[in-house]
Amino acid sequence: MFLRKPILFLLFIAFNAYSQQDLSVLSIPQELRENANAVIRSYNKEITISSRKSMSVKTSRIVTVLNDYGNDYIDASEFFDKSTKIKSIEAIIYDAFGKEIKKIKKKDFRDRSLSEGSILTDNRILYLDYTPVQYPYTIVYTSETETSNTAFISSWMPLEGLYVSTEKSSVTINHDTSLGFKYKAYNFDEGILKKQEQPGVLALSVENLPARRSEDYSPYFLQIMPHVLFGLDKFNLEGVEGEASNWEAFGTWMYNNLLKGTEELPEETIVKIKALTAGAATPLGKAKIVYEYMQNKTRYISIQLGIGGWKPMPAKDVDRLGYGDCKALTNYTRALLQAAGVESYYAVVYGDRRARSLREDFVSMQGNHVILAIPNNEDLVWLECTSQQLPFGFQGSFTDDRTALLVKPEKSELVRTHVYDDKNNSQNSKGAYTIKQDGTIEGTVTFTSAGLQYNDKYGYEFLSPDELDKKYKNRFSYINNIKFKNIKVNNSKDKQLLREDLAIEAAGYGNISGNRMIFAVNAFNQSVSVPQRYRDRKAPFEIGTGYYDTDEITINLPEGFTVEAKPENMIFKDKFGEYKAEYIITGNQVTYKRSMHLYKGRYDNTEYENYRQFCDKIARNDNAKMVLVKQ
Amino acid sequence: MKQYLLYFFLLIACSAVLQAQTYELGEVTRQELEEKSHPKDPSAPAAILFSKGETYMTYSQRDGFILVTEVDMKIKIYTKDGYEWANRSISFYDAGSNRESVDISKAYTYNLEGNSIKKTKLKNEGEFTEEVNKNWRLKKIVMPDVKEGSIVEYRYKIVSPFIHIFPEWKFQHGIPVNYSAYTTRIPEYLGYTPNFRGYFAPKVTKSTKSQSVTLTNTQRVENRPSEINTNKIDYVDNIVKYEMQDLPALKDEAFVNNIENYASSIEHEITYTKYPNSPIKSYSSSWEDVAKTIYDNEDFGGELKKTGYFEDDINALLNGLSSPEEKLVALFYYVRERMNWNGNYGYHCDKGVKKSYAERAGNDAEINLMLTAMLRYAKLDANPVLVTTRSSKIALFPSRAAFDYVVTAVNLGDRTVLLDATSKSAVPGILPIRALNWTGRLIKQDGSSALIQMVPTQHSKEANVLTVSVTNNGQIAGKAQRQYEHYNAYIFREAFLGMSKESRMEKIEKAYAGLELDNYTVPEDKDLSKPVNEEYEFKHNGMTDVIGDKIYIKPMLYLGETENPFKQEKREYPVDFIFPRQERYIITFNCPEGYHIESVPEALALAMEENIGTFRYNVVQVQNQVQVRAMVELNYASISQDYYPTIKNFFDKMIEKQNEKIVLAKNN
Repeated sequence: MFLRKPILFLLFIAFNAYSQQDLSVLSIPQELRENANAVIRSYNKEITISSRKSMSVKTSRIVTVLNDYGNDYIDASEFFDKSTKIKSIEAIIYDAFGKEIKKIKKKDFRDRSLSEGSILTDNRILYLDYTPVQYPYTIVYTSETETSNTAFISSWMPLEGLYVSTEKSSVTINHDTSLGFKYKAYNFDEGILKKQEQPGVLALSVENLPARRSEDYSPYFLQIMPHVLFGLDKFNLEGVEGEASNWEAFGTWMYNNLLKGTEELPEETIVKIKALTAGAATPLGKAKIVYEYMQNKTRYISIQLGIGGWKPMPAKDVDRLGYGDCKALTNYTRALLQAAGVESYYAVVYGDRRARSLREDFVSMQGNHVILAIPNNEDLVWLECTSQQLPFGFQGSFTDDRTALLVKPEKSELVRTHVYDDKNNSQNSKGAYTIKQDGTIEGTVTFTSAGLQYNDKYGYEFLSPDELDKKYKNRFSYINNIKFKNIKVNNSKDKQLLREDLAIEAAGYGNISGNRMIFAVNAFNQSVSVPQRYRDRKAPFEIGTGYYDTDEITINLPEGFTVEAKPENMIFKDKFGEYKAEYIITGNQVTYKRSMHLYKGRYDNTEYENYRQFCDKIARNDNAKMVLVKQ
Repeated sequence: MKQYLLYFFLLIACSAVLQAQTYELGEVTRQELEEKSHPKDPSAPAAILFSKGETYMTYSQRDGFILVTEVDMKIKIYTKDGYEWANRSISFYDAGSNRESVDISKAYTYNLEGNSIKKTKLKNEGEFTEEVNKNWRLKKIVMPDVKEGSIVEYRYKIVSPFIHIFPEWKFQHGIPVNYSAYTTRIPEYLGYTPNFRGYFAPKVTKSTKSQSVTLTNTQRVENRPSEINTNKIDYVDNIVKYEMQDLPALKDEAFVNNIENYASSIEHEITYTKYPNSPIKSYSSSWEDVAKTIYDNEDFGGELKKTGYFEDDINALLNGLSSPEEKLVALFYYVRERMNWNGNYGYHCDKGVKKSYAERAGNDAEINLMLTAMLRYAKLDANPVLVTTRSSKIALFPSRAAFDYVVTAVNLGDRTVLLDATSKSAVPGILPIRALNWTGRLIKQDGSSALIQMVPTQHSKEANVLTVSVTNNGQIAGKAQRQYEHYNAYIFREAFLGMSKESRMEKIEKAYAGLELDNYTVPEDKDLSKPVNEEYEFKHNGMTDVIGDKIYIKPMLYLGETENPFKQEKREYPVDFIFPRQERYIITFNCPEGYHIESVPEALALAMEENIGTFRYNVVQVQNQVQVRAMVELNYASISQDYYPTIKNFFDKMIEKQNEKIVLAKNN
């Protein structure tokens, strides 16, 4: 019964979409051409969820590609695997006047595996490989797919990216009302989203969204782009029935269906772990031993095969094979900890250097990564189990400061991962250099980094001397001719501190003009660059990571020169951060003290120019010169 | 060369050892497992203890000769960064009936546990076959139980019916190789030429071995039982073994054309077949033969002969044109505009010129053979040129595999013009960068061929004229006129073609941090044979230092180099500048009110040996103006690594000079 009405309704929409479409590019409104490399003329997706185990998706897309850069937006492709089939797929190309030039049938689409490198997956893609013969051109693409997986209903993002505009976009979802269909819209401006809703059918549409440009420091695109998420309370995932009515129930479902029974370990390993951890007094002490044992025993291999894309490989297999993906390695560590009598939780997150969070207000299968949490009093200690190199309990910028779902037998919950305080993302430098009469400088400096600055550098420990030399030459690229006479990197894993000892030499650092010598006092930490200017910044901007640098450098001046001019001491504070530079001259020595504190934060587009000015001021002060004159 | 000689001596010195050691799977020692780092390259994350390959042929009555390649690998993992060497992917061709197959065997991981050696077998669960696309499969293995210090071993066998496509053997890899041997065992009926590359020479041992095949033949004659005839044929296998020892890890560097050109490896090209009772069939053996073979192929020469599909269109186009130059230009732009390159390389037509012409899209061969055919049709002396693009390796011996691209050459009597209509930014004489490599092979209508230089010898020029005023707080503002010729224009067009004004401005501002553009004029650039002229106004806050009552100015402003691109102390490979260049700068500064010019940098002229390049720099003061005149010339597209210190030193001195300041001082 429920099927009949929606289909009529669908036909109506589909009919509309075609009959009104003028394929000529002349009918594209001027405002949609601005900044656009392609225009989504009309996009219509009809999703029919006829049961928990059956979903079909009909797509029809009409895209006008205005130039070479717009080809990415034809998006004439479908993914498929064992549970998702492509029933039909076709594309027709039209010239600028709407005259047909080519028709591409299913057999002429290309089939390719989605695997790259060592990733193992059975996911494939069928895609159109078309060489455009003129611009602009229009493509009409239609497809129909069917899947038994209803855990993921692809979200709808009518503005599909940057430099692309949308004339018309709509999505219709017909659903079996017993499955608990839900949706939520994000980032739509007032009055843009049109909605028609009745039991079992939801239709959403928008019109005339102009193209957006790329702007540095923009927040993660899902935080600003309008989009709608869809989901079911009752779904099917590769043959496993699931429930997602609230986070607690969903977490418990995950535990019971994806984790339970995977933690079994060989007796031999259990005995070994017990013996290894027997000496440690605290649960965390034991956990550290277990984590390092796991790091030495395993390596990361991505495996996405069937339900294996969601369910961890059994711990006993990881134990035997010594490899696994994030799910497998996290679950294996959990099993080892269990053997050592330490409780821990499998935690689902988005792993991304841009803080991307699970949508707390929308219960569904989310996340792309798994980490492990160990309760420690009121706190949680986080373990990244895919890294063989990170110290115990170091969260790092890949998963910090975001929501995670703790998957437990009961009382599953959403929690926040570790938040790094700006001031603790620190780098301290101490050093001295001597500037000679010919402008050569020679000196040594020690950097000590913590927090997320430790995160950026802990990997240095594993680089070869050649790679290190290259790395430092890049970091000090503002010093021409720099030579590193000594590079020593020391990773204190326990303290999560990285110490770098450098000895440098650079001819011509002091710039000689006549009988004067000019040089930038701050030789070791000119770290701030000025962000790109935008004439009309649209997006808000984000300083994703705050930090705190302090420097104290002693400079020995050459014999026979006196200071003609020194930079002014500088101290300023803004909503973005604080900066201080001080120059103290005592005889033939200068002491340079600097501190720079950048705050993490999100700001309005209107503040962007001020932030640029702030960075510009710092960059100029970091490059402030001292002038010496020959006596 | 030095390295080569040194290696040669080492080789002789080591040959005794080489004899003594055996390289077999399954013989892992404690000593090997205990080794913490590679003795010759302590920073190596892993090393190939040995790689041993053999390619031979077997005969079956059904399939004839087939190629079998067996490879044994033994790899030591030192650090976690080396774990990727415990995974392996082997791609193979599988298009249904004609297919290759890959088998993995003897795959084990060895670890030291306490005092004993633990051996873990790779089971089926660690072996995967992936369908990459319609024709290609990937066999992937993931070795179990890998830790720091592990040794992994495996054998793989590739069986291929394609005897014309001999596998490539790589002696050198991204990690050190202690020993590598490759043996070919080829029946006397087949001739292959080995193509060798790299800085190291192998030890070569040749021998022969008798072989035989027995053919059976069933004969049915009416009313009589079948007769089975057997026929034993004796033949000789020619065996060649190549051995190398202690190969260093291959490392990439900046300004390298294609690193694979320098890796030690060997390829084989089939040259003839000489089956019993059949005449010799020759494939390639000299460059002339290679060119002839390609030319005689239907997908090349055959396609080149077709004219019917374009005649009507071209007749109209040529109507009224008389000089060869006019015809050349008209035809080139016609093809360039009509045709669209699909991104595929090759010297064979794929769907053919006729279909490509109708669909307005094709590969490089279709586009440029079509162009050649049209030029010939217009009575021009036009010929196709086979090219090795920069993305493929340069062949050292005549081989069809050497080429992967076609362009067109037109002889205009006094000069030859190269054409490539695959890029919308290309013009006659200016080819896409991908084709600027080594030498090409020009094939004439009679099938004869000749060598042709693909590397540009003419300077590509860039001229910059800037007029700048300086304010007393050190800001600069001015107007820039920049002109790009030849390859500089090509690169400019490729980067900016079809881009909006705003995006162009942002792109330029991104390239020169701190620069703020205004009044940018999008170059008209209608006639691509003319230089591109770019004009804009700009401001910059970071080009000066105001200290006390003086202003210090960077004379070359944002256009000057501040960093030497040649940072490494040593260089293993030639320095690739792609094309010879000349850059000129005239920058005029106006002194702010109330200031005078205190000092300007002294003039400098630098020249590198062998006419590699020059730098001329002159700063003159005229009343309240300073004029900077600079010219940089690099006279070759590519320069041998022997001159690396010269080049590095030249750039150091040039940059140092460019960074000397103009000093303005406040009037008293």
